[in-house]
Amino acid sequence: MVSKSVIISVFIVIFGIVIFESDSLFAESQVKIVDLMKKIEVLQDMTADVRAKVDLIQTKTGQGTKKIEMLYYRRDSDDSFLIVMIAPEIDKGNGYLRVGDNFWMYRRNTRTFQHVNRDESIGGSDTHADDFEKRKLTELYGPSKDSAGKEILAEEKLGAVPVFRFEIIAKVNDVDYPKKIYWVMQDKGLPLKEQSFSASGNLMQTAYFINYTTIEQRYVPVKQLYIDEFEKGNKTIVELSGISTKKLSNELFTKAYLENISK
Amino acid sequence: MKFLFVVSLRNLFRQKRRNILLGSAIAFGVMILIIANSFSHGISDILFNKIVVYVAGHVNVSVNEGRGRDLPIFRDKERLVQIVTEQAGDELVEYNEGIAIFLQAIGNGKVQNMVLVGVNTVNRRLTVKQRQEIDESFQMISGRFKELSNSSIENPIVLSKEKADALSVKLNDIVRIKYRNVYGQTQSSRLTVVGIMSNDNIFMQGIMLVELSNLKSMMGYRPYECGTIKLTLKSPKEDSVKLANKIQAQLKPNPAFILASVKKLSSDNIKPDSDNIEIGKLEKEKIEISGITASNIDIKATLLPFMGNNEPLKKLMISSFKLKSGKVEEVFGKDGMMVSDYLAEKLKVTTGDKLEFSFKPKFESKEAIFSAAVKGIFVSDEINGKETIYTHESLFYPKFYENLPDLTIDLKQVFIPKDDVSFKSALGTEWVLLDRSRNTDDLKRKLRAAAKKKMKAATIDVNSMYESASDVLKLEGALNLITVTAVLILFFIILIGVINTLRMTIRERTREIGTIRAIGMQKKDVLMLFIMETSILTFFASIAGTVLAFIVMAGLSEITFHVNDNPMAILLVKEHLHFLPTFSGITGNIALIMFIAVVTAFFPARRAANLPAADALRHFE
Repeated sequence: MVSKSVIISVFIVIFGIVIFESDSLFAESQVKIVDLMKKIEVLQDMTADVRAKVDLIQTKTGQGTKKIEMLYYRRDSDDSFLIVMIAPEIDKGNGYLRVGDNFWMYRRNTRTFQHVNRDESIGGSDTHADDFEKRKLTELYGPSKDSAGKEILAEEKLGAVPVFRFEIIAKVNDVDYPKKIYWVMQDKGLPLKEQSFSASGNLMQTAYFINYTTIEQRYVPVKQLYIDEFEKGNKTIVELSGISTKKLSNELFTKAYLENISK
Repeated sequence: MKFLFVVSLRNLFRQKRRNILLGSAIAFGVMILIIANSFSHGISDILFNKIVVYVAGHVNVSVNEGRGRDLPIFRDKERLVQIVTEQAGDELVEYNEGIAIFLQAIGNGKVQNMVLVGVNTVNRRLTVKQRQEIDESFQMISGRFKELSNSSIENPIVLSKEKADALSVKLNDIVRIKYRNVYGQTQSSRLTVVGIMSNDNIFMQGIMLVELSNLKSMMGYRPYECGTIKLTLKSPKEDSVKLANKIQAQLKPNPAFILASVKKLSSDNIKPDSDNIEIGKLEKEKIEISGITASNIDIKATLLPFMGNNEPLKKLMISSFKLKSGKVEEVFGKDGMMVSDYLAEKLKVTTGDKLEFSFKPKFESKEAIFSAAVKGIFVSDEINGKETIYTHESLFYPKFYENLPDLTIDLKQVFIPKDDVSFKSALGTEWVLLDRSRNTDDLKRKLRAAAKKKMKAATIDVNSMYESASDVLKLEGALNLITVTAVLILFFIILIGVINTLRMTIRERTREIGTIRAIGMQKKDVLMLFIMETSILTFFASIAGTVLAFIVMAGLSEITFHVNDNPMAILLVKEHLHFLPTFSGITGNIALIMFIAVVTAFFPARRAANLPAADALRHFE
């Protein structure tokens, strides 16, 4: 079964529009964490529909490497997405469909849809339906401040790339990780690295956005790496291909479509 | 009578061999009955007092504030415990909080999905019986159960041998865990192994035990919050359903509301002037005014929730309110909030403005503050209230539960629509009390239906063990039925032999009856003589059978069964059979045997007694 980090990573794949003129957005004025967060929000906010093939290479300690392939359709205008598994064979035809508040899991072998409640584990993984809820980063998190009341924001280099490193803490209780640290490119505001911490402050997951490409004037992270810091040795590489931003048909986000495509 | 008793005894001793054989058969029957009865009681004892108590409690009050998730938390522990314990009265042995979490655990290079269960080992007065039950349930292979409450050790745990092996951990090793706290946040902790236990109970083999207070702290419970309450009763079979019904009746919820100071949030917010009174820890620009004077107005308003996730109730709200401004879909949508026109005028707010609310929580010293956007303004009247704000349940309940207001104090100042108001049923209550269930299947269906309603209010569900653990109780019933059937078959085989022997004995003695009748013994004395003989024989045989039964049970209890991987191991205690003989059971069994023997002897004895003496003397077999 697909693990949480894998499913979530597919969902939060960033397809944001980046207007090229805004590349120097942070260069001239005093940078604030909220501005950087808003930039990430813009990146995550989809104005167009998206279709992509997603490959996940999952390495688990003692279990070797597993490649998972899926088709991913997303339409933010009505909060819908559809994931159809195409590999490995055992998961082929299974899928996840979300339309508004409703979230279903489809199992091809039983030909059944299971309505998933907010807290229900999806397919025995540690993924819960509420992980897919789309809420703005600035609604959930605020800048973290040091003892002097100053925002925890620094300029540094990630490899050779100048980045802003900033820390944010949850403003609301119901978030997955109460603390996060981001490394975003100073010129474009694109996140390159993200660390997520548990309530007790332990590092739980590190994400690297390894490779961005531009598709129809959008920056798309076509390769991402998720490292499970809790269970050392577990990691997932996410690769996107066949990305299209053409309008998706209404029929796509229906149970009938998922059932038919899975036959 | 004494004469008859003496004659009866003499007759019994006269036919020693036959009576010893007959008595042995009766004793054997009694022994079988007592062993079976004790075994059956043992099964009931295990299931009721060692499994149901741990799994569901004799009565449990399940709380869930999940808002779609499973979140067992109640924000006013004192209130809930008071209601529950008052109703239980003297029947209550003890109550416990049922808190458990599913988690991912990492031991020495091994990962396992497990359940961490909180057990209360601090401030708990245990009876001798309870201590014995704990000893029987948690047999320590290494370490000490007591260490669970050792505060100098980082989150001490006791885990089953099976899980210790799976995680490859031993005493004093560290287990790291990843789980979700009460807010749904990812949390990680370190646990220290202070004990490894062997367990007959299959339900206990996949778990780790931790001191309840440690678990609550790890989960983020505050001192005044509690989880599901489980009650242990003195007489669960008799009282659990009655008590569950009584508790249900006492848990009817009151209307939910927040009485808050409201101010408009905007850049041109009203600034305080020298005449204004500053209240508590509110921000400086906050103004508290008595309400009706001109410009500087800060009004206390009642926030009331409406059940917007329930379509019929939402429609009822829509039809009951007349909007002055705002779109219906926004006002009654997820973030919906409508303000009375009276308040809107006083606060100088229009649709789209943001309001800030502040109120004093019941348990926290710090004032609770939150803000929300006005989605509409409604026409107020005496029915819906002038100083009222209606909010969607999704907006209201998270704020309500996070900082529970003191509803009893605030009730005097608050506006609550009357019960006969058309939209009253669409307004939210402190919690939603679920209907009682008939059995476990019904309970599951009910909880699924409740989850589908997407209620944002917490739910309370009161169950006796007959609903929450009906599957376990069905198992008890099935096992008892099997035992009783097998015993009855065996018993009747023995009984037929005994009856036949008794009849033969009496028939053989027909001429003897003729003789004693001829020398003047009355019919009723003859009848009484035979009944007395049978009764004496049966009584002493029963005593012998009881002694034998105890000897056999002691012997069987000594046999060790190594069947930990078998589900039927739950019927063993410390890998041994568990017999629970009771005085009433034994006396009942003896009485049954004696009754059957007397009835068996009665008819041939009466026939013999009724024979004319001459006929009886002529009788020949």
